[in-house]
Amino acid sequence: MITAVGASLHYEDHGREVHACEAIDVEVRDGEFLGILGPSGSGKSSLLYLLSGLKQPTAGDIRYRGRVMASMSDDERARLRLERFGFIFQHPFLLGYLTAVENVVLARPNEDRVAEAEDLLERLGLGSKTHRLPHELSGGERQRVCVARALLGSPEVIFADEPTAALDHANGVQVVELLDRHRGRGSLVMVTHDPTMLEGADRIVTLADGHLIDSCG
Amino acid sequence: MVEPIEATKGRTKALPKARPLVASTYLVRNARKTTPLVAVIVLAVLLVAGIVSIMNSIPLSIRTIYSYSKIMLGVTPRGDADMTPRIQARILADSPVPIDRLIVCRASGAQVRSIVGKWPFVVIALEQEDMRYYLRRMEATRIEGRTPGPGKAEALISAPVAKNLGLGIGDELIGPEKNEAYSPQSVKIVGIADSRHWLMLAPIEYHKVHHFPPIDLLVVFARNAADQERLDTWATKAFRGERAQVFAWSELEKTTNEMFSTLYKILNVVIALLVLVITLMMGMLMNIYQSQRLQEYGLLQALGYTKKRLLRRSLAESVIVVLGGWVVGLLAAHLLLRLVKLILMDPSAFSLDTLDPVAFLYTVPIPIAILGAAFLTVWIRFRDFDPVGVVERRLI
Repeated sequence: MITAVGASLHYEDHGREVHACEAIDVEVRDGEFLGILGPSGSGKSSLLYLLSGLKQPTAGDIRYRGRVMASMSDDERARLRLERFGFIFQHPFLLGYLTAVENVVLARPNEDRVAEAEDLLERLGLGSKTHRLPHELSGGERQRVCVARALLGSPEVIFADEPTAALDHANGVQVVELLDRHRGRGSLVMVTHDPTMLEGADRIVTLADGHLIDSCG
Repeated sequence: MVEPIEATKGRTKALPKARPLVASTYLVRNARKTTPLVAVIVLAVLLVAGIVSIMNSIPLSIRTIYSYSKIMLGVTPRGDADMTPRIQARILADSPVPIDRLIVCRASGAQVRSIVGKWPFVVIALEQEDMRYYLRRMEATRIEGRTPGPGKAEALISAPVAKNLGLGIGDELIGPEKNEAYSPQSVKIVGIADSRHWLMLAPIEYHKVHHFPPIDLLVVFARNAADQERLDTWATKAFRGERAQVFAWSELEKTTNEMFSTLYKILNVVIALLVLVITLMMGMLMNIYQSQRLQEYGLLQALGYTKKRLLRRSLAESVIVVLGGWVVGLLAAHLLLRLVKLILMDPSAFSLDTLDPVAFLYTVPIPIAILGAAFLTVWIRFRDFDPVGVVERRLI
């Protein structure tokens, strides 16, 4: 579904050339759970941004169903993310002035998905807290709201960038399990430095210093 | 077969229940952040509308106090007291409109109070029959007390004059102790006419005996307002360069406009500077306001909201804040001016228009300039905005 072909990402950081990803070939298949493993600074988040269209490669291509993402306009890529992808980030980003259910429906602003959002929150154990504001929720609960937001509308791919980093191990495991259980037929691409979080993954690719060094599964 | 991305466009439908990104949602739920912005605009509008209204109250006062001049034409001989018959004959012979009444009377000086000090006012001395006619033309509906008796040191004033000078029946209008409203005898008020026009009337017999110089005043009434205007225009031209001075409404208007033109030029500069300062201040506030929302914009952009969509929403919020502040400011200005009128102006019959359209027009540049600043701030913010910086927590 999504293919990286010789994808590189180089950028300048305070005058220093950073090679975040170097000629990476990887494929995200329909319905699979792909784990991207690697230590901090290995380029795994950069690869996730490339695969999801949040960043454009400085060399090589990222293709979504055969179409080169770089050839799409900014608006097309934005629409792709909004309508086909789901996202979870390392930190549980929620809009502080919106309730849990309102934060969830942000993922599909053009559709009436309130009932689905409430159902998802119920299934994720937040049925009694759908109308709470983020500051009234614990860190684990906030991340579960982010999970619900990523799951809303059954996206084709969910991109999860270290979704367990801000949680304790038990909560982290629970979040990954919830994602995996409720993603339906969608793919899950998860970046982590903790291999125990990828026990349910169909495939795992390992990065080091921007290079893909291993692929298993 | 996989459908193209564009194919999903038609599947979407409007969101009827939860509308988390409607502009008003943010504004209402973040009242502590948006209220200061609205408050600054309200204060700015209040300040500008207030200053202009108070300024405009001065020419308005002139037009109100001397409004009798709109109903009659005054002509007085200049340098030669014997000119009266010739002036009278010329008016009667050459007037372009029928004359309803030409009164030969006398006048003396008095004063009324305004918010910028004392202004001269005329005591018109008339015969009894002329006085009744004069009061009728000045739309006096009722007289509290009575009209001054022939030859007596008595006067009649209208209600606004009584209010303005704080005088009542039995009080002295002009007298020997009053330097700016002198009369050798103490002229007491015996009647107060219920009229919106400002007037001071006395018996002509008293004035002829006690007031110097013995110059007549010709008061000329046309039959209606349109004729009066034509008569005024004719008299102004006809007696130009002659030994006669014309007191016409159009001349009063002209003099007032000339008197205030420089003041209004200064006012324009002051208002322009004020708008500039407020706009810069609001630009800075808007910048802080937008900076506090980088995380929100970054998250939404990462999720797939287009820059255009976020820009539209941000601008919608700005429009609500700015236009809301402007409207509230206008209402606040109106209420404050009503309060000022009630407490400070009305007791002295000072004029103030609490719905002065010119004053409200002066506030229009405020929302326009602030919206311009808001649009610029938002546009700069969104131009090179990278959502990844936010989700990686580099920008927050």
